[in-house]
Amino acid sequence: MDDIKVGLTPKQRAGNLLGSFGLIAILLIIFGFFSLLIPKLYFTWPNLRDMIRFSSYVGIGAIGMTFCIMTRNFDISVGSMLALAGVLGASVALKAGGIFGVIITMAAATLLGVINGLFVTKLKIPAFITTLGMYFIFRALAYIYTNNNPQYIQDRFWIFLGNGSFLRIPLPIYIMALCYVIAYLMLRKASFGRYILAIGTNSRAAALSGINVDNIKILVFTLVGVFVGVSAVLNGSMLGAANPGMMGDGYEFQVITAVVLGGTALAGGSGSLGGTLIAAMVIVFLKTGMSNAQVNSYWQQVATGLVLIVAVSLNKLKFWLIGQTQ
Amino acid sequence: MVKFLKLYEKIGIFILIVAASVFLAIVSPNFRNLDTILSIIMQGSYGAIIAFGMTFAITSGGFDLSVEAIMGFTSVIIAMLIPSLGFAGSIIIAILASCFVGFLNGVLITKVGISPLITTLSMQVILRGASLIITNGRQVVISQKSFMSIGASKVFNLIPTPIIYMVVLFAIFYLILNQTSFGRHVAASGSNEQAAKMSGLNVNLIKTVVYILVAFSASIVGVIRTSQTLIGIPTMAPGFTLNVLTIAILGGTSLAGGKGNLTGTLFAGIFISMIYYGLNLLNVQIFYQMLAVGITLLFALFIDGLRMKYLETAKVKGIRV
Repeated sequence: MDDIKVGLTPKQRAGNLLGSFGLIAILLIIFGFFSLLIPKLYFTWPNLRDMIRFSSYVGIGAIGMTFCIMTRNFDISVGSMLALAGVLGASVALKAGGIFGVIITMAAATLLGVINGLFVTKLKIPAFITTLGMYFIFRALAYIYTNNNPQYIQDRFWIFLGNGSFLRIPLPIYIMALCYVIAYLMLRKASFGRYILAIGTNSRAAALSGINVDNIKILVFTLVGVFVGVSAVLNGSMLGAANPGMMGDGYEFQVITAVVLGGTALAGGSGSLGGTLIAAMVIVFLKTGMSNAQVNSYWQQVATGLVLIVAVSLNKLKFWLIGQTQ
Repeated sequence: MVKFLKLYEKIGIFILIVAASVFLAIVSPNFRNLDTILSIIMQGSYGAIIAFGMTFAITSGGFDLSVEAIMGFTSVIIAMLIPSLGFAGSIIIAILASCFVGFLNGVLITKVGISPLITTLSMQVILRGASLIITNGRQVVISQKSFMSIGASKVFNLIPTPIIYMVVLFAIFYLILNQTSFGRHVAASGSNEQAAKMSGLNVNLIKTVVYILVAFSASIVGVIRTSQTLIGIPTMAPGFTLNVLTIAILGGTSLAGGKGNLTGTLFAGIFISMIYYGLNLLNVQIFYQMLAVGITLLFALFIDGLRMKYLETAKVKGIRV
């Protein structure tokens, strides 16, 4: 769909335009709107820098979810996974230092991703229900492990990862950029990317053409874990603590919103990482704007839900304009 | 073996209940007492009632993640309206408002074509926010003590009212699903939507009604819970949706759609409540209940997966299934 051919009807042109620039336009409109509304708070370099820095929280976690949804699966357990990996790492950091804490956080999240992948593929349980079960199990384990006490992160190295800067640009932005470059290369330049798109389009056909569907799916769920692990490290660093109840609460919703808003079809087989990244920024820009404009947090909640429904409807409109059925 | 599996599909959950009962009767003297048993069933009725609606949704090929928000929404509307409308009027309006939410879910899913997951997940967030806005984030105390009689009294001084509601609703939902053409249409839409459309069913209408039924059942439980506590709680029952899904799936309703098992749902609701009772005996903290529900869900699916695998191999081997 990327190559625009001659001879498209105006309707199809409008659809393509909506697909390519709709999200960027939404981002610019949100930024422009709040910049005009509260210029002193919003339209400043520190605010813009912080908003992009905060985007890394949802943005990085959403990379794995983009892969996952492309294969027509879901992972609802990411928020609980973030919390469990976070509290494990933070408690290790207290005893053995920050580097080990970070390693344990990453390793734990990766392992949890592998577990999800094995359940989905080997036991043939639908991903949605498996990860819904894990959503509760991971969170319960985080509570049980910490006995509901927050684990404070004071290690200088770990704190530096989320709050430090290099050349006046915060480290999380570099980390997010690196994650996206790696993911982009995997998706567009490696056979792995073609495999996951094939599985999402038609899993049976993919299996028949010799793709080891189970292994690719396990890898996808593992990648969800890896990227959630990176997010957990940065989130713990920015908050200075890993709280078993609050860490990652509602994260699955934000991440899925970013992916769907970014134009990845729930039906699988298509999607874009760039869209996910911009969508993650849309969410943060909107939220920061509403907070700065002192919108009641309950209204913010309503607005987030509405944004998702409207965005998905726009996506439907795009496909309708192009004249394709999803 | 195939015969056994067919039988298991029908009464598997019943076997679990008997096993759990025997176990509990041995370890806990309290369990051998009618009041305790009735209270366990009552605790199970909340999940079971909503799971009746959820069974319909899953049978029609979808599900509804907004049920816990609908409970809170109902609770808040009742608490806000009861001073001016009295309890009958406020309950009716709360239930109608919830049914309207179900209608919106149905329209978004069928007419706009957004997947049930995104629709009901968004609805959950929106409705939670709306409930918090209505009460300004507070819990609203209800001063009418007589409202308590709805959910916290006992019939013949013995049977708690929620059990009565559960039995009545079970009868109604059972008749609708198994004895009416609508019930068959729901199953048809779930097992093969395209074929159902081809044969002239108004699938969109059927599915919309299903989501209204889910919202209705969630709203009923919202009324019961509000009456028991006499407080309008906007954030009522966080995480309850998973319990409800677990109950429906544990009861043997296939996630693939097209096959609903309400009897199983009823017993699964009671079984989950027995697990909670058992964990309470052990005096463990509340998060162990979360763990138990998650593990039970995965275990049920694991068994279901094994069963499906066996039946498939049997089919390939030519054994009639």
